Amino acid sequence: MFSFVRRRMYTSALPLIIVLLGVFLLARLTGDPTNLYLPESATAEQRADFAAKNGFDQPLLTQLGDYFKGVLHLDFGTSLRTGESASEMALRAFPATLQLAFTTMLLAIVLAVIIGCWAAYRPNSLADRFSSLLSMTAASIPDFWFAITGVWLFAVLLGWLPTSGVDSGLSWILPIATLMIRPLGVLTQVVRGAMVSALSAPYVRLARSKGAGDLRVVTHHALRNAAAPALTVAGDLAVGLVNGAVVVEAIFGWPGIGKLMIDAILQRDFAVLQAAVLLTAVSIFALNILIDACYALLDARVREPARV
Amino acid sequence: MSTQLDLVPVKPTTAIVGEPETRKRSKWFRLLVNDRVAAAAAVVLGLVFLTGIVGPMLVGNLATHIDLDNSNQAPFTLAHGWANILGTDPLGRSMLARLIVACRTTLSVAVPAVVISAVVGSAIGMWAGYYRGWRETIAMRVADVIMSFPSLLLAVVVLYVFSPSAANIVLVLAITRIPVYLRTARAESAELQSRLFVDAARTFGASAQAIIWRHVAPVVLPTLLTVATLDFCYVMLAESSLSFLGIGIQPPDVSWGLMVSQGRTYLHTAWWLSFFPGLAIVITTVSATILAAWARIATDPGQRWRLTVPQKRLSRFTKTTKALS
Amino acid sequence: MRRQAVAVALAAVTVVASGCTVANSRHGGYDLNTLRIVLPEEPPTLEPCESSLTSTGVVVRSNITEPLIERDPASGELQPLLSTGWRQTSPTEWTFDIRKGVTFSNGAPFTATDAAFSIDRAVNSDLNCNVDGYVFGDEKLKLNAVNDTTLTVATETPDPILPLRISFVEIVPRTTSTTAKVREPIGTGPYVVDDWEYGQKLRLARNATYWGKQPAFARAEYQWRSEGSVRAAMITNDETDIATGLGPEDGAGNLGVAFPNNETTALRITCTQAPLNDIRVRQAINYTVNRTGIVKALFRGMGEPAAQLIPDGVVGHNPDLALWPHDPDKAKQLVAEAKAAGVPVDTQIRLIGRTAQFPKITETMEVIQSELAEIGLNAKIEMMDTAGQLQYQLRPFPDNAGPFVALIMHGNQAGDAAFSVDQYMRTDGAQNGCGTPAFDQNIDAAGQLIGQQRQDAYAKLFAAEPTEVAQFAYIAHMNGVLGKSPRVDYRPNSATGDEMRLSQMTFASTNREA
Repeated sequence: MFSFVRRRMYTSALPLIIVLLGVFLLARLTGDPTNLYLPESATAEQRADFAAKNGFDQPLLTQLGDYFKGVLHLDFGTSLRTGESASEMALRAFPATLQLAFTTMLLAIVLAVIIGCWAAYRPNSLADRFSSLLSMTAASIPDFWFAITGVWLFAVLLGWLPTSGVDSGLSWILPIATLMIRPLGVLTQVVRGAMVSALSAPYVRLARSKGAGDLRVVTHHALRNAAAPALTVAGDLAVGLVNGAVVVEAIFGWPGIGKLMIDAILQRDFAVLQAAVLLTAVSIFALNILIDACYALLDARVREPARV
Repeated sequence: MSTQLDLVPVKPTTAIVGEPETRKRSKWFRLLVNDRVAAAAAVVLGLVFLTGIVGPMLVGNLATHIDLDNSNQAPFTLAHGWANILGTDPLGRSMLARLIVACRTTLSVAVPAVVISAVVGSAIGMWAGYYRGWRETIAMRVADVIMSFPSLLLAVVVLYVFSPSAANIVLVLAITRIPVYLRTARAESAELQSRLFVDAARTFGASAQAIIWRHVAPVVLPTLLTVATLDFCYVMLAESSLSFLGIGIQPPDVSWGLMVSQGRTYLHTAWWLSFFPGLAIVITTVSATILAAWARIATDPGQRWRLTVPQKRLSRFTKTTKALS
Repeated sequence: MRRQAVAVALAAVTVVASGCTVANSRHGGYDLNTLRIVLPEEPPTLEPCESSLTSTGVVVRSNITEPLIERDPASGELQPLLSTGWRQTSPTEWTFDIRKGVTFSNGAPFTATDAAFSIDRAVNSDLNCNVDGYVFGDEKLKLNAVNDTTLTVATETPDPILPLRISFVEIVPRTTSTTAKVREPIGTGPYVVDDWEYGQKLRLARNATYWGKQPAFARAEYQWRSEGSVRAAMITNDETDIATGLGPEDGAGNLGVAFPNNETTALRITCTQAPLNDIRVRQAINYTVNRTGIVKALFRGMGEPAAQLIPDGVVGHNPDLALWPHDPDKAKQLVAEAKAAGVPVDTQIRLIGRTAQFPKITETMEVIQSELAEIGLNAKIEMMDTAGQLQYQLRPFPDNAGPFVALIMHGNQAGDAAFSVDQYMRTDGAQNGCGTPAFDQNIDAAGQLIGQQRQDAYAKLFAAEPTEVAQFAYIAHMNGVLGKSPRVDYRPNSATGDEMRLSQMTFASTNREA
């Protein structure tokens, strides 16, 4: 298992470099930040000055070289907007998003497994159809609409929850609910579908004839086989969370890295953007390695290439 | 002692199912009709596509005619004309007409994006899973690279460097979704390599392309179809999130996502502005998902038996012998 | 079995570890002595020389730091603040008397040297301060602290409104860095920076050594939410006392106070390319834009149709100027005339706007585009983010931009037409799209005058612009909406958007200070 993980880590190094390179180029393609950071009537000299101070007048290759040199020293430059170190800003914002994403995914997986198994247990019954309809609808709701309606309904109208911010435990509820509805809906359907196939397979009959109880059949036998497709989907959803909690962070004022990235894009703050993207890229690679490891754990056939 | 588990239908060991096969065409039709919910979903989806294709021609300029005196009229009343049955937007344009025109834009963004990413992603995935080795590693790392790019950054860049247009949005959404198909196809394809029928085909000297096309693809197809329709869902929602950030479909073009996004500032005073396009999105994606679930069963020869009789009679396939005590 | 147990244990540990606290969070109920404010965005910095940037100035100006002179937004008059009096001692020199007995919040005494240092730092240094460009343009000032209580400021050319410009410079101690901008400044104002949790909250506390009257609230707490409806919800939910930048339909209800916010929206036409280089086409655009309709239907009556770039209360505003009449037929006729004269009126015109610049901007753009289409002009809407749109608002414009019209929103914070006219109407102004040398001469002449002559000269310029240049199709003088909790007493004025003075906020008369 560890050799598998080690191997994956080595092969992830090159893609990481490509990601860094890619975001460096793409960020600079978005345009010139000068107008945002200089006074309106800046003269041509002042613009040239600004460019020189930030290295924008150098040829692209030189800028790239400086950038990579800085990365090796873990120095990502300073933010054009605030003057702070870019890596500090990214590292400060990241844990908040991580907590949000982790809790959301955990809740979504647990709930999806419970509901999916329960629905597969009695397929085509009223309960099953109802939960299917509900999960499909949940996977189809625009997240920002859900968030704003939630704020209006639960905070303003009913007064049960705070509107936004990170002040109390209650303020977790709306952001997590918003972030969770789509993963929950999608995962429930996947788990249900996979479980229905698994429960109708011959080995279930065999287990039953050996005297296994319902719970053991569902969890120990069927779930393990249904876990594989569910895991792939869960992994993709998790990646999407880490990358795209932007909407939730923007609406609820959650101080996370999604909002930092979108602000950096809009402000053409290249240093912060690069630092933030690197941080999320590393965590996504780590997550993928984790998922592949789980996958290999579950299905031994995938671990080694087929020997013909 | 028999429990709930015994009531789960299992495949019959003898062929006692349905009527004898007639023509090939009606086989699929029969499979669809036997699942009433899926049939209803198919009808709804058909209506949506029909609206997208034909609707804008019928609606004419009702969707673009600005009438500031009629702004934000409430729905469900005929007081302002039948065209405004679903209310009007802040510029006095008919909601119904805008929904119909937006249908076409939304579908013309979502469908091509899904098709492109599905075809490209699964082709590469199956190829990588077949060969394993370095090809697989490269393909998976490419998928990793694409997945760690914030889809928003890619969207902003594409829409600023080139001009913001539906085609570019399709391109961006397609590229960011390729990894999903790639990973799924690869996983299933890799798992199949150890199966007997693939081994047999290789022994007979079938080329890689033939094996992938004839043996791997049909097995992988059901999962991919499910993923594709769920992805259709995601693409429609991603398009609305892009509009929320201001970089989606640009006015005066209109899409459901843009309508939901523009209506969000009016939640208190004109709820219908966000509600109806949101409802349209939900109805379309739920129908597509139901149809996908049906297609997954129908295209899988191992599961098809479930659809050979009407759903109500599925209980015929549960265990009926006495339990051993 | 063992594997399962390990997995469960691992999951439990991570949940507990992460669930204990939200990273970067604190609890609290709320303290009655804290004034809670929610802004649309976090100030990027509190550097005083950037305080002409709205997101910085709204927190810093007259709260943490103070200028020598302050402009009263209602009357337009200059009031003494850190300077007790000023006079023009020669055409190119002004003398300011400095207030005695003032200390900075770090204990250092405030003298004319600090004043000279601050102005020099803002205007003459290499820091590229926003105040420099916005207020002073290319001017270089010569400063001299004659003694502790007297400061002279010399300009290269006579500048009758120098005190007004000086009112934009916030005073900082002479020990402040001249090579780097300062994120959390020291000043003489009624509040000091207590704690800034970057990304989350900014807390101010009363300055114990403040020279003036202590403000009513002992502490102030700023937060930020980008969605207007969330800010409004915070007001109705009593999670905040003041919410800025609300739209009319965000849901603040009767807790929302509408006020003229000093901003004017207009279409700025660049006339370097056909068909916009023909004055008939530009005048046709003016005839077809339905200002009254837009204000009534889109802005819900909150705003006033505009006939010039500055609202009432700014020196140079022409009170007699009538609205351009709404006459689509006349517009069509003008376009036809231009077409007959060979102007290619079908060329696509780019209609450029900034996303979310003001509530309903998208709808406004759509109305304008359809009105232009009605008279035979081919306009295409392009909404861009701030950085993108600024490329078309500020010179130098991109090459190959084609004929374009930019929707701009101009706020004249200074209270004198010179700031608007120099930026927008002089042919070398940073935001100018169209001008003539003759008009430039009149602008220069007006800038030299003072008093009633100045007022009349600028008023004449605004009256003549539509026929001589026609660079603008004005839309409206805008209103802002401020959400205000019933426990706070505050009347917003035209300066509130740029400079929100916390000392003007008091407890509502039914509450008693706890």
